[in-house]
Amino acid sequence: MGKEVKEPIRYIWIWVALVVILLISIPWYLPKGTIYPIILGFPYWAFISVVSVICLSAFLVYIMHKYWDMEALMEDEKEPEEKKEG
Amino acid sequence: MQLNFVGWHGLLVIIFYALFILCTTVYFSYSKTLRDSLKGFYLGGKGLGVLLLFFTLYATQYSGNTVIGYAPKAYRMGYAWFMSVPYMILVIAGYLLFAPRLHVIAKKFNFVTPADWFDKRFGSNAVTLVATILMVYALGNYLLEQLIAMGHAIAGITAGVIPYTWGVLFLVIIMLIYEWLGGLKAVAIADTINGIMLMLGLFGFLIMVFNTFGGLTDAAHYMIENVPKKIGVPPLSVSQTWLSLYILVGIGAAVYPHAIQRIYAAENERTLKRSLSRMAWMPFITTGVALIIGLIRIKAFPGLGKMESEQLVGMMANVIASKSVFHYWVMMLLFAGIIGAIMSTADSVILSFSSLISNDIYGRFINPKANEKKKVFWGKIIGICVVFLLLFIAWNPPGTLFEIFVLKFEILIQIAPAFLLGLYWKRMTKSSVLVGMIVGAVIASGMTLTGMKTFHGWYSGIIGLAINMLICVVGSLLFPESTDEQQKVEQLFSSREFTGFNA
Repeated sequence: MGKEVKEPIRYIWIWVALVVILLISIPWYLPKGTIYPIILGFPYWAFISVVSVICLSAFLVYIMHKYWDMEALMEDEKEPEEKKEG
Repeated sequence: MQLNFVGWHGLLVIIFYALFILCTTVYFSYSKTLRDSLKGFYLGGKGLGVLLLFFTLYATQYSGNTVIGYAPKAYRMGYAWFMSVPYMILVIAGYLLFAPRLHVIAKKFNFVTPADWFDKRFGSNAVTLVATILMVYALGNYLLEQLIAMGHAIAGITAGVIPYTWGVLFLVIIMLIYEWLGGLKAVAIADTINGIMLMLGLFGFLIMVFNTFGGLTDAAHYMIENVPKKIGVPPLSVSQTWLSLYILVGIGAAVYPHAIQRIYAAENERTLKRSLSRMAWMPFITTGVALIIGLIRIKAFPGLGKMESEQLVGMMANVIASKSVFHYWVMMLLFAGIIGAIMSTADSVILSFSSLISNDIYGRFINPKANEKKKVFWGKIIGICVVFLLLFIAWNPPGTLFEIFVLKFEILIQIAPAFLLGLYWKRMTKSSVLVGMIVGAVIASGMTLTGMKTFHGWYSGIIGLAINMLICVVGSLLFPESTDEQQKVEQLFSSREFTGFNA
């Protein structure tokens, strides 16, 4: 016991941030047919999308490491058995 | 995908590659103890470590279709097909919606298949049966798609030396042997070998495409001059499809039965988190690479129609292979990798299919008193019969690859509310889940069958899911469970796995 249990679904801000990143990644808000400038072989809108999607991956990895920790529940399950063995 | 440059060499490569996988998997996974229990056979006993779990997740999510089907899609759509990268990443977000809690609960109650969750949460045979039927149906379609892709790939790489029919049959027999002997452990080892081959093959192909046909900037300038539609900001309808695919694939692929079983099979939470963290970057080097290859081809092979563009990977490989002996063999290995990738998706599906039959249909409804050894045995036998039935269907393949790919999600995604709501909302009732799943599946498949795949840019699966969710919420609020049933649910939700955060 004592260890805090964390579950991503419980943090509303995570899902709000996710939706914001996703909405940025889709070029619905940019003028249709526009292309320039070309950055690293991508038209500007696709480049924005690439950058936001890199942020998406980084964000998900961050969430998994910082806001997902249910192991305390598993440890609690194991404890009585370990005590018995001891 | 006709490859003129191979033939008998291709035949030898496929035979040796398949036999190598067979020997390696059987050597490392054969265990009598694991073979006789449901958990041992279908979940690899105590669970999979980071390496095996990561590669089995990777090889399951990405198939040979990722190269054969996605690159031509990029060719036809242009830069907008970049959507295939984020929607694959969203599968990981989909997992985050339910995997943390489901993993803990699955470990506690020794779940083997997704239907175990339905049974535990709703305690209704009707709900479990309908969910199982939906999963079996969707998995069947998915397997069919893989078998068709496998046959085409093998006929292509051997330039018809191995006909389509015999190619599928040969690889299916190899898969069935190692699955029969080693279960999930064997599948995970095969997935690891195939996953590495796919990554290497894709990168080798990308480098050679750059060298032979020029880079992305050249292709971009060509598009500006000749096909500006493929490089300009796409119209709103495309953005809507883009968003629709986020939901469809993000949720649909996360609730694949074989994906859920990998959540159960993870050795521990740390292993699962590490594997999923790596998976979050994989779309860049998989669907992202397929995208770039497809875009470069717009300049290299302009003006192809839909059916011709489906042959593009083969066309490019023919050109590259003619450059030198080295190029020839790299292309040969790429196609062995593609076939391996299709195999590794198919083997996971076959195993999951077999587990649903043995644990849920046979073990729950036909012969509940049977011991685990018997359940595993009948799961294998019926699974093999279904695979051969699908093979007959595969020999008369319908439509193009991508259309079949969308078909399976629309049915499968209808089981999602039972996880997304059922894990967190105790008022959710079994009758609302049952009606929601059936209505969602009927609407989604009905729309597809009548040729209405999308409605105002929204895929039929998403529309079915929205109605399904609505039925689940409104139905649960209007018609609550009886007091007895409510007490049972209260009891389940009062365990630490459900209340842990607040405890």
